Amino acid sequence: MSRAGSPVKLSEEKLARAALTYLAEPGDPALGALLGICEPAEVLAAIKADLLPGIGPGCGDSPASRVALERALGRWRVRLPELPDADGIAGACRDGIGLICPGDAEWPSALDQLGQARPYALWLRGNADLRFACLRSVSMVGSRAATGYGGHVAREIAADLAERGWAIVSGGAYGIDAAAHRGALAAEGVTIAVLACGVDYPYPAGHADLFTAIAAQGLVVSEWPPGRRPARTRFLVRNRAIAALACGTVIVEAGERSGALNTARHAANLGKPLMAVPGPVTSAQSAGCHWIIREWGATCVTRAADVIEMLSPLSVPDALAPGGCSEPAYSPGSGSPGPDPVPSRDDLDADSARVLDALPARGGAGTSTIAVEAGVDLDTVLRCLGRLAGYGFIERGDGGWRLRRPGRTSDGA
Amino acid sequence: MPLARTYSVALIGVTGQVVEVEADIANGLVGMILVGLPDTALREARDRIRAAIVNSGEEWPQRKITVGLSPASLPKRGSWFDLAIAVGVLAAAGKVPRATAAGVMFFGELGLDGRLRPVRGVLPAVVEAASKGFGKVMVAEQNAAEAALVPGVRVIAASSLTQAADWLRGLPGRDGGPAAAEFEGGQDLPGHGAPDDPDGSTGGSSGRSPAGRIQVAGRGRAMIPDLAEMLGQSMARRAAEVCAAGGHHLSLLGPPGAGKTMLAERIPTILPRLDRAAALEVTAIHSVAGTLPAQVPLLADPPFLAPHHTATKAAIVGGGSGVIRPGSASLAHRGVLFLDEAPEFARDVLDALRQPLEAGEVVVARSGVTTSFPARFTLVLASNPCPCARAAGPAEGCSCSPSTRRRYLGRISGPLLDRVDVKIELEPVSRKELLSDRNFSESSRTVALRVIQARERAAHRLRGTPWRLNGEVPGSELRRTWPPAPGSLAVLERSLERGLVTARGVVKVIRVAWTLADLAGRPRPTGDDCDAALGLWLGVRR
Repeated sequence: MSRAGSPVKLSEEKLARAALTYLAEPGDPALGALLGICEPAEVLAAIKADLLPGIGPGCGDSPASRVALERALGRWRVRLPELPDADGIAGACRDGIGLICPGDAEWPSALDQLGQARPYALWLRGNADLRFACLRSVSMVGSRAATGYGGHVAREIAADLAERGWAIVSGGAYGIDAAAHRGALAAEGVTIAVLACGVDYPYPAGHADLFTAIAAQGLVVSEWPPGRRPARTRFLVRNRAIAALACGTVIVEAGERSGALNTARHAANLGKPLMAVPGPVTSAQSAGCHWIIREWGATCVTRAADVIEMLSPLSVPDALAPGGCSEPAYSPGSGSPGPDPVPSRDDLDADSARVLDALPARGGAGTSTIAVEAGVDLDTVLRCLGRLAGYGFIERGDGGWRLRRPGRTSDGA
Repeated sequence: MPLARTYSVALIGVTGQVVEVEADIANGLVGMILVGLPDTALREARDRIRAAIVNSGEEWPQRKITVGLSPASLPKRGSWFDLAIAVGVLAAAGKVPRATAAGVMFFGELGLDGRLRPVRGVLPAVVEAASKGFGKVMVAEQNAAEAALVPGVRVIAASSLTQAADWLRGLPGRDGGPAAAEFEGGQDLPGHGAPDDPDGSTGGSSGRSPAGRIQVAGRGRAMIPDLAEMLGQSMARRAAEVCAAGGHHLSLLGPPGAGKTMLAERIPTILPRLDRAAALEVTAIHSVAGTLPAQVPLLADPPFLAPHHTATKAAIVGGGSGVIRPGSASLAHRGVLFLDEAPEFARDVLDALRQPLEAGEVVVARSGVTTSFPARFTLVLASNPCPCARAAGPAEGCSCSPSTRRRYLGRISGPLLDRVDVKIELEPVSRKELLSDRNFSESSRTVALRVIQARERAAHRLRGTPWRLNGEVPGSELRRTWPPAPGSLAVLERSLERGLVTARGVVKVIRVAWTLADLAGRPRPTGDDCDAALGLWLGVRR
């Protein structure tokens, strides 16, 4: 589709952010702080000129942070000779590889919760929409040396979740990660692999085919530019993105010193629901899972329904608070209710409230009937019906639109 | 040297290729040999041409005649080359001037009595002739109006071989009969007025009302269906308007009698009339298929095709072993392809539609030749909720189990439904809804004007891209290049989180929101447009 076409014309800001992914390691707090006060292009120019850029809170305003900033500058300048020019960066955005930056329509605002550790930009391979996929997503990670039990459970739960419209986020490693991806693929759902190397660099090499399949149906995502190799520390940095992208994290099998526990810690720090699948108490591979249930208060889950219950906005309103999956970056549409994502009847705009009142208490009513009853025109009634259905006040049933009875759930379209 | 050349065109699908016809008269065994991959109908031309020449009062050369059609490797079919061969033989025998004969394109079948009969596909053939620099074409009288659609070509309409020969010799009509008529192409387009031209045709309304074809509303004809008749179906009317404006494909679900067919038939009444280039494309396809009504040289109205559900794959996408003919998908080019009882269609027939929906054309490959037909149509699928085709609900006598219904609708494959942006559920209208809706119903003419303006806005926005309508823009491109106004997706994203729409559904809702914005004259979709599009999307029981 579009990303496969001719080289894309990148804006100056995108080019600068792309260049920063080449120069700095993701999650560098110095660069995160700088980007908070300067434009990316200014930061890039400063690195190139070896000048200290502007000073702001937490960034060069004290002698200590000034020394740290100078040291960081030297660190980033080391890679300047390897930095491709603008054409080279734009050239990397072909063959299905794309770049998204904060502020883009596709940028998942969940990443903004990472604050200064927010990725500078994300490289993607695949055609799914990252923002939409992440709005309803679960990250599922675990041990690479998984047992047959762990692989089976991961696959089953992932397939079940994918079937109900949830995207599965994982790290593309052997073991549990691969089982989660494969389960989602088998259910023809969207799955996202967050790599610790370039999106065109298949690591582990045995998963090259898996990544191709993921790109065809979902997305392969990385904070590192194309061609970058994986390194031990990069996996730990990558884990914060896995935790941040999804609405909640499920640990399937983890030993006592597993990297999955690092992801779990990030999820807990972000205030996201943390879940763990138990295993045999005698199994060393599940020791980590049991430990986080006991020590960190992770919720014990055994099937997809448990996971959905944890993440469902109705049963756990906290999940929609700013720390959860709601959209703090988006202000509600014109005339729509306040920031609360589930507005009460009283918060509705005047037209929607009238349309809602016009619905009969029992049974359904046709669109025109509702319009006449509410005294609004057809365009307005259609817009309000869409809004009310989107908020879950009404639904389509026998005889037209009708009030949605509390407690009834409807699965994906 | 008794050798003469004439020219004609061989058609592969709707594209033509110039064929050179050489006639050579030499000493040898008396007879006529035809070379250059002729099929049976063409081989029979020998006997037809001999009889026609003799019965026209001309002399048949009693020597060895060799007729070669080149390029020799191109298979040539049908009775299409009769006139070119007959004139070639006469020219080789010195009966008509060779130089004149070589400057004209000939299309026509000969009767044994020398009459010239019409053939199919004259329009694309004349287009090819004009593009190769031929200034004159000779066709049968009945094909003349069709040939005259092409500008820059002089059309000679002959009714018989005698008239043709006399014209070539520069003689007037024989025995007081009429001479071959001659006129310039591209001058006059009978009945091709602007869509909102109130008094219709500019060149006289020469019988522009073929049976089964639907005119744009407001043209003063009896029995024209009108959108206003869909009383009580406001959502369906809105959906039809959106589909017409944005080129979105539509799926209709509802029990028998709810008005699915009625709605589909009314979509062409709100589509703008075809512009000249599109009308020529459509006419060329219908010309090749032989479905051009006799008195209507140019099809300026969007076609409406409703193939029966027993149709074969070849009938829908085109095919045939000998002559490759366009199928319903191509005949509906720039119009509406309506599949009533869609789940009853054979699965492979429905799946064969995926390629034309993707590419806007049908590629038919046969052992001898591969050809493509344009096929950019609006697909309208109509389905009953269950196979028993009784109205839903236990009181109406339907006893189908939920799984039976599910399986029935599951016959339409996912990839096909993925292309459908708008789905609507039609229900039998209640009395209350009927009365309420009287305030809102609009005539096709009112809606058609909005549709034209919306299409212009979309075309202006999409200039410089391969697309002209919102429905053609791929989802990823739409999301990246034309995002809706900031903040307008709040409710949509909320529905996504709740699982009311899928990520795929979101893209469709945004695409429809663009069309709603175009219809309302807004530069980009606002929250209102997105919510209204969501309302259309969620207006189906799930």
